[in-house]
Amino acid sequence: MERQIISKKKQVFSVEPTKLSPSEVFTRKYTSHLVPALKKLNMDKNSSQINQVTVKHEVDMALALSAQEFAWGRFLLQKLSSADSKSSSSNQTQILERSNDEDGEIEEKMKELQELLPGGKEMNVEEMLSEIGNYIKYLELQTSALKTIVQDTT
Amino acid sequence: MMMNGEATTEADLFLNCTDMSVLERQRAHLNNYNHHHPGFFSNSSTINCGEMDGFLASAGLDLPAIYGDTTVYSDARLSASQGNITTESGNFKKRKFGCVETETKVCNEKKKMMMYREVVVDEEEEEKSKITEQSTKNIMKMKMKNKAKKEQNSCSNDSSKVTKDSQKTDYIHVRARRGQATDSHSIAERARREKISERMKFLQDLVPGCDKITGKAGMLDEIINYVQSLQRQVEFLSMKLATVSPRLDFNIDDLFTKEAVSDPMMNLPNTVMPPHMMVNSGYPHDLVNSGYVDFNPMQQVVTSSDPLPCFNNGQASSMWDSDVQNLYSSLGV
Repeated sequence: MERQIISKKKQVFSVEPTKLSPSEVFTRKYTSHLVPALKKLNMDKNSSQINQVTVKHEVDMALALSAQEFAWGRFLLQKLSSADSKSSSSNQTQILERSNDEDGEIEEKMKELQELLPGGKEMNVEEMLSEIGNYIKYLELQTSALKTIVQDTT
Repeated sequence: MMMNGEATTEADLFLNCTDMSVLERQRAHLNNYNHHHPGFFSNSSTINCGEMDGFLASAGLDLPAIYGDTTVYSDARLSASQGNITTESGNFKKRKFGCVETETKVCNEKKKMMMYREVVVDEEEEEKSKITEQSTKNIMKMKMKNKAKKEQNSCSNDSSKVTKDSQKTDYIHVRARRGQATDSHSIAERARREKISERMKFLQDLVPGCDKITGKAGMLDEIINYVQSLQRQVEFLSMKLATVSPRLDFNIDDLFTKEAVSDPMMNLPNTVMPPHMMVNSGYPHDLVNSGYVDFNPMQQVVTSSDPLPCFNNGQASSMWDSDVQNLYSSLGV
C-alpha cells in the first residue's frame, strides 16, 4: 500500500471528505511546495551555497503556487518564473510626492499599495483593495508557516 | 381626471407623445375650444395647482411604464411632488421623446403656466394655430429659455429622499440623495466610492490595530505599513531558513505531517512520498489536498486541531515527532 501511494501520482481521494478552511488548504499547499523545494535545494547544492536569494525565491514561489486563485498569486508566479534571480522588489519603498490635496494623498497611497501588491499596477483601485485583503491574509499564513518550519529545524 | 370626455381622449392621444405637451396641448385645445365649448375652459381654469399636479403625478407615474428609457430624475421628482410643478417638470425634462428640447420647453411652459396662468393662456392662444411639438418649442423658446436653464439646475439639484431603486432600464438607477447631483456620472462615481469604502472597512478588520483609525488616508497608511512589515517578516524568516536549511533533511517529513495534520483525515500521501518526487513533478495541488489515506497509527497520534494553532503552539506538534519518525522509518522513506 505504501508503494502504491509512493508511486501513485494521480489523485487519491479521501475515505471521508473533509472540509478544509482556506487557511488550512493554503498552509498545506504552501508547505508541500516549499519544503520539498528547500530539500531539493539542499540536495542539489549540497550545502554549498544556499544563499538567501534562492531561498527567498523558493519561498515566494511556494506562495505563488499556493495562491493561484488570486490575481496576485498568478502575477507573482509569472514574475518568478520569468526571472531567474529576483531582487526583493516587494520591499521597495518609493518616495512619492505628497500633495496637500487630500484626494491626491489618497491617490498616492493607493499607488504605493499597488506597488506592494504583486500585479497591483495592472489593477484598478477596487480590485486592488480586495486583492490586498487576501494578500495580507495569505502573507500572514505564510509567515506562520515559515515560522514553524524554521522553529522545527533549529 | 377633471377633464371631460373629449379632453381626455385628446389627452390619451397626446400621451403617446409627451406628457408635458399633453397637458400643454390640453390647455391649448381647451383654450381653442374655449369659444366653442366654454365648459372646457372653465374646467381648465378651475384646474388648480393641486389638481394639475395630481394629474401630472399620475401621468408621470404612468410614464415610466410607457417610456422605456427614463432617467434618474423621474421618480425622484415624483416622490417629492408637493404639487410643485418645478419638480414634476424635472420628471419629464429628460425623457426621450425624440424631442428633448421640446420637453424641456414644455416643462418650462408648464411651470410658467402654473405660475403665470394668464400669460400662459396668452401664449397658448398664440400657438393656437400650430399645435405641434415643434411649434410649441419655437414659440415658447424665447420666453422660456431663461427659465429652462434655471429649471434644469433646480431639477438636477433637487431630489427626493434617499432610496435606492432600480428603474426599468438595463442599468441600475439609483435615487439621488438630497442635495446631491443626479447625473449618471456622479451616481456611478458614488457607487464606486461606496464600494471602495466597503473594501476599506473589510481591510480595517483585517489589519490589526485599525479600529481607532478613521479616514481613508490613515487607514491606507496602516495597511501599507502592515503589508510592508509582513513582507519584511517573510524575508527575515526566509533568511533564517536559508541559514538552517542544511538541517532540513530529516525534519522535513515531520513538518509535512505537522502541517498536514489538522484533522483526523491526514494528508498522508504528502508525507509519504519522497520529497524529491514532488518537487519537479508539477505536483498538482489537488493531490496535495485531496489525497487522504487512512493510516490508523497516524490517526491515533493525531489530535484534531486547526493548523494555525498547531503552528503557534510548538508543543502540540512536538508530541507527534517521535511517532511520525517511527512511522517514516517503517515506511522506508
